[in-house]
Amino acid sequence: MTQETAFYLLAIIAVLAAVTAVRLRNLIHGVFALVIFFAALAGLFLLLMAQFIAAVQVLVYIGAVGILLLFAIMLTERVTGDDGRRITSRGGFWGATAALGVAVFVLLPGIQQTDLNRLPAELAEANATAADANATMAPPHTVEALGKRLIEPYIITLEVVALLLTAALIGAVAVSQGARRVEDEEEASP
Amino acid sequence: MSWELIRDILITTVPLLVIFPSLFAFTTWIERKALARIQNRIGPNKTGVPCTRISLFGLGQPAADGIKMLFKEDIVPKGADRLFHLLAPIVALIPAMLVLCFLPLEFPWAKFVQAPVQAFLLDGAVIFFFAITGLNTLAVFMAGWASRNKYSLLGGMRAIAQMVSYEIPLVLSAVIVVMLVGSLNAADIAAAQKGYQWHLFTPWGLAAFVIFFIAALAETNRSPFDLPEAESELIAGYFTEYSGFKFALFFLGEYIAMFAISGLAVTLFLGAGEGPGVAAVPALSVAWFIAKIFALIGIMIWLRGTLPRLRVDQLMAFAWKFLLPLSILNILIAGFAWHVAKSGAGTGLKAVVWIASLITLYAVARGLNRISRPEAAPREYKYAE
Amino acid sequence: MTLEGLLILSAVLFCVGLLGAFTRRNAVVVLFSIEIMLNAANLNFIAFWRYGENPELLHGPLFALFAIAVAAAEIAVGLALVIAVYRHFKTVDLEKLNTLKEE
Repeated sequence: MTQETAFYLLAIIAVLAAVTAVRLRNLIHGVFALVIFFAALAGLFLLLMAQFIAAVQVLVYIGAVGILLLFAIMLTERVTGDDGRRITSRGGFWGATAALGVAVFVLLPGIQQTDLNRLPAELAEANATAADANATMAPPHTVEALGKRLIEPYIITLEVVALLLTAALIGAVAVSQGARRVEDEEEASP
Repeated sequence: MSWELIRDILITTVPLLVIFPSLFAFTTWIERKALARIQNRIGPNKTGVPCTRISLFGLGQPAADGIKMLFKEDIVPKGADRLFHLLAPIVALIPAMLVLCFLPLEFPWAKFVQAPVQAFLLDGAVIFFFAITGLNTLAVFMAGWASRNKYSLLGGMRAIAQMVSYEIPLVLSAVIVVMLVGSLNAADIAAAQKGYQWHLFTPWGLAAFVIFFIAALAETNRSPFDLPEAESELIAGYFTEYSGFKFALFFLGEYIAMFAISGLAVTLFLGAGEGPGVAAVPALSVAWFIAKIFALIGIMIWLRGTLPRLRVDQLMAFAWKFLLPLSILNILIAGFAWHVAKSGAGTGLKAVVWIASLITLYAVARGLNRISRPEAAPREYKYAE
Repeated sequence: MTLEGLLILSAVLFCVGLLGAFTRRNAVVVLFSIEIMLNAANLNFIAFWRYGENPELLHGPLFALFAIAVAAAEIAVGLALVIAVYRHFKTVDLEKLNTLKEE
C-alpha cells in the first residue's frame, strides 16, 4: 500500500520535473528541475530494490552532471540564466507532434501488445511481495553480489568502460583547450 | 506503516537531531574561545545565566547568538531570485543532517529497534554518504546565484570548483579502507577495526587519513581552504546576502557537515566507537565516538588559528597535482600490502613492506610537493590597464 | 506498482525528453533532454530486472551501471563541445549554427 503511494508520488514528481526542465525559460531553474527529476528516479530505483544504482544515480547525475551543466550554462549564457529570446525552435510544433506521436503510436501500443504475462507470474509475485511489506528481510541482492558479478563475467566490459571514461576525459579537455588556442592565435596575429 | 515502524524511526532519528545541533552550539563556543586564546585574546566571557552575575566562562554566548539571529530582520536583495534565496539554506542543511544517519553510532537504546531502519547497516552506506554530501555543492551554488551579487556568485563558483576537485582525493582515500575491509557497510568497517587495529596505525592508512582530513577541510570550506568565503576578497562569499535565520541555517549546516565528515573519518580510520571501557559499558562507545569527532574538530580549529589562506592556483594545484597522484599511489600500496598479508607472509616480510611503503609514500610526497607547487610569477594584468 | 506501470512511466519520460530535444533551441537544453531519455531507459532496465527472470544474475543493475558510466562520458564530451562551439560562434543557439547551409 505504502509502496504503491510512493510509486505514484515519485512518478508524478518525475514527469512534472522533466516537463519543467525541458520547457522552462530560465536555464538555471531548468537544471534544478532536472536535479529533482534525477532524485525522483533515484527514489524509484530504491523502491525497486536497486539501492546501489540509486546511490550511483545521486552521485553521478546530481553530484557530477548537474554541476557540469551549471558550469556550462555559466560559461555560455548570461549569468542570470534567462533565455530572453524565443526558446522554441523553428518547426517546434512538428517536433512536439512527433514526440507525442512516438508516445501514442509506437511506445504505448508496444507496451500494450507485448505479452508481459509470459514472464513467470509466481516469480514476479514473489519478487514484488519481498519488497512490499517484508521490511524485516534483508534486500536479496547486495552490493557485494553486484561487485562480484562485475568482476567475474563482465571484467572486459568494466575495462572498456574505464577506457571510454579516460578517452572522454582527454577528449573533453582537448576539445575545450584546442578552441582556446586557436582563439589566442587569432588574438595574437593581427 | 505500522506504529512499531514509526516508533523505531523516531528512536533512531530523534537523538541525532537533538545531539548534533546542541553540540553545534557548544562547538561555536569552543571555537571562539580557542581562536581567542591563539590570538592572545580572551573571547566571550560575559554572557552566562541571564539576570545574574554568573558568567560560566561565557557559555551563554551560543544562546545569546541564537536569539539575536532569530530576531534579526530577514533581508532579501531586490534583484534576487526569491524562491532560490529561500531554498538554498534549507538545501544546505538537509543533506548535512541526512548523512549523520550513516555514522555507526550505537546508542544504548538501539537494541529496542526491531525494524531495519538504521541506515548505517545499509549495504552501501559509505557510497550513500558521499552521494548525499555532494548535494551541498548545489546549495552553495544556489545561494551564490540567487543573491544576484557579484561577490556571492564568485564565492559560489569558487566553492563548486573547490568541492568538485577535493571530492576525488576524499573518495579515493576512503576507497582504501573499503578495499581492506571488503565492505561498504559502516558497521562492518567499524567491526573490522576491533582490537585497536585501526587503519590509522598502518602506513597506507595514515597517509589515507591525512589526505582524507585535508580534503575534508576543503569540502567543508574550513580554513586554510575557506576561499569561497574569504572575507578579505569576497566579503562573505556565497552567503553575503543572507541575514537572520537563513544565515543561522547556513551556519548550522556548515558545522553539521563538519561533524558528519569528521564522523566518517572516525569510522574509517579511528576505529569508530572503540576505546577503553567500551567492553564493560557498551554505552561508552557513543561517548568515545563523539570525543574522537571533537578531537578532529579541535585540530580544525587549531589549523584555522594557525594557517593563512591559500591562493586559488595553489588550491587547484594542491588537489590535482599533489593529493590525487598520492592517493592513487596509496591505493596501489594498500593493495600490494593486502596481498602480502593475505599470502600468509611472516612478520619479517610484513615489516619490510611497512617500512618500504612508509619510505615510498614519504619520498613521493616530498617529490610531488616540489613539482606541484605553482611558481609565484609576477602578476600579469591582462584587462585592467 | 506493476511492470506495466513502470514501462508506461518510462515511455512518458522518454517522450518528454524527445519533446525537449525536438523543440528547444538551446544546445544545453538539448543535452538535458538526452539525459532524461537515458534515465528513462535506465528505469526500464531496472524494472525488467526486478520483475523479470533470474534477478540473481543482476543483469539489469549492471546494464544500468554501464549506461550511467557511458552517459557521464557523453555529457562531459557534449558540454566540452558546447563550450567549444560557444567560443567559436559566440552562441549556443542551434538555429544560428547553420554555416553548412546555403543561404
